[in-house]
Amino acid sequence: MREPPMNTIAPDAIKAWKLTGVFYEGLLWLITIAVAIIIYLFDWPYWIGIVLVMISILSTIFTVFILPKLRFRKWRYELFEQEIYIQHGILIMSRTLVPMIRVQHVDTKQGPFLKKYQLASVTISTAATTHEIPALREEDASALRDRISALARVDEDDV
Amino acid sequence: MSNGPSYRLHPVSILFNCIKTAREGIFLIVFGFITFDRFYFILLLAIFSLLGILLSVLSWYRFTYRLEAGELRIEYGVLIRKKRYISINRIQSIDLTAGIIHRMFKLVKLQIETAGSGKSAEASLNAIKLSDGEKLRNALKGRKESHPDIEIEGQEESVNPLREITPKRLLLAGVTSGSVGIIMAFAAIAFSELEQFIPEHFYDRTFDWISELAIAFIIGLAIVVLLVFWLLGIAGTMIKYGKFAITKVGDELFITRGLLEKKQITIPLKRIQAVGIAESVIRQPFGFVTVFVEVAGGALDSGEDFSTVLFPIMKKTEIESFLQEFLPGYSMESVHFTPLPKRAMKFYLIRACVPILVLGIVATYFYPQFSWLAVIVLLVNFLLGLMRYQDGGFSVEPERVIIRFRGFSRKTMLLYHKRIQAFEKKQHPFQKREGLATIKLSILGKNGTGKHYRLKELEEEHVDKLGDWYSYRE
Repeated sequence: MREPPMNTIAPDAIKAWKLTGVFYEGLLWLITIAVAIIIYLFDWPYWIGIVLVMISILSTIFTVFILPKLRFRKWRYELFEQEIYIQHGILIMSRTLVPMIRVQHVDTKQGPFLKKYQLASVTISTAATTHEIPALREEDASALRDRISALARVDEDDV
Repeated sequence: MSNGPSYRLHPVSILFNCIKTAREGIFLIVFGFITFDRFYFILLLAIFSLLGILLSVLSWYRFTYRLEAGELRIEYGVLIRKKRYISINRIQSIDLTAGIIHRMFKLVKLQIETAGSGKSAEASLNAIKLSDGEKLRNALKGRKESHPDIEIEGQEESVNPLREITPKRLLLAGVTSGSVGIIMAFAAIAFSELEQFIPEHFYDRTFDWISELAIAFIIGLAIVVLLVFWLLGIAGTMIKYGKFAITKVGDELFITRGLLEKKQITIPLKRIQAVGIAESVIRQPFGFVTVFVEVAGGALDSGEDFSTVLFPIMKKTEIESFLQEFLPGYSMESVHFTPLPKRAMKFYLIRACVPILVLGIVATYFYPQFSWLAVIVLLVNFLLGLMRYQDGGFSVEPERVIIRFRGFSRKTMLLYHKRIQAFEKKQHPFQKREGLATIKLSILGKNGTGKHYRLKELEEEHVDKLGDWYSYRE
């Protein structure tokens, strides 16, 4: 666990995450505008609106411009014959080992934002945990899913 | 498996059905009592009671079970007929329980659990004769040995280990049950409240002696309430763990317990994921521990404990012989724990103290008269942080890992390599700077969810070694 996993996820992940960020921040701005209107109509103190706008600006800068790059830089994965090695986390970095014989099923999934950039996530489930490798290129994701599912065998000794 | 005739449950089952219906309808009864006049209420109640009883009788009449073609076949349902066939090979455990009503009629409730992860038992026969229950259990277990009855009987007399709780120990378990801690907390709050309120209310009174009497009365009352809670705690433990006995037959552990409701739990050794030893703050100084196991699946015992207690109370020195007898693979003799590095201590102390410190400062600002309480809580948390640091440790063997940590109780968990589902190393920037890291080990838990054990601030080098130990790569 000294060496980080080798593979990065698809670089387009940054774009997809930015788009996701824009979407959710858009919702936040809608709420902010609604509150601003209420403040104007009911003569509430203006500082509430100012604080809200400040929060929205900071949150937009963070989730759209900073977070996606940081997440991309930290996300790593590597597939071995016996196990999957995953690294993620911006502040709290975590590295996980998932043995193949513990894998129960593998899924790929794709939301609208990932679809736009031909990306997909791979979800690996054991009986006790789930692990996700987000935003791989579609063909990589399918290949990874098939490979893991081929490598994952049922252990005789299992419950 | 030969085909058998179908059976009905014991008629007492009708009573259980009635009770269940009444319990579900209690809201309607109350609602009816409020809305309708006395006459209509009684009329409606009579009609619904009659319907309820009729339905109970019908559902008893319709419920049949039989053993056929290697399956337990249950058919039930009044309006919608349902059939449930459970293959004997799929049955994981069969438990017999007997409540007070059951015991009056010499009946038992039989519950069957399969490997699935459902919330309730897969099949439940709520009232059958004790002898039938035992017969059915043996029949369902028949898949394992060719002559289960004879073999099991023979073994039971000669080699099957058996441990029972002594009345003295049971009492001790009650006296030191966890509720004492909660009571102490309540006591602290109660007394601090008193201190604040009493002077304001009573100082202006002309007759000082009355106020003194009142204070004495309130304090006396508080002590009585505490005592009652404590006694209730003792009674609860006695009822739950009374007549506790554990025995091992073949590759299964059987636990029976309960003073009023007799409960029987079966644990196949194969399904044990981890063995733990818990030392609560109150029991630790006296050298007493609780031994428990984590079992995969298991709907029957859920809602009671998250873990299954193997023995409620024993001396620390008795653990080894107990494990040797019941779980030889989990012996913990001559385990040497690698302690946490010195640098980890500050993390533990900060985590334990900072939230309390912040809360304490805020509380003291608003209620200066409470500052002494904040100081006490802070001190207790400081000590707890220190103990958590000192108790943290691990030990690696080729096939097993043993970790020790403390929340409130000190826990020692023994996990086999093959039972660990995933291994995680976590690190935040402060830990990274100090060369420390946290590990998370995941195993199977109840109801298809995982159970996770964390040990914080280990030497990073040790964590990497543990990772290598866990890794399946050659």
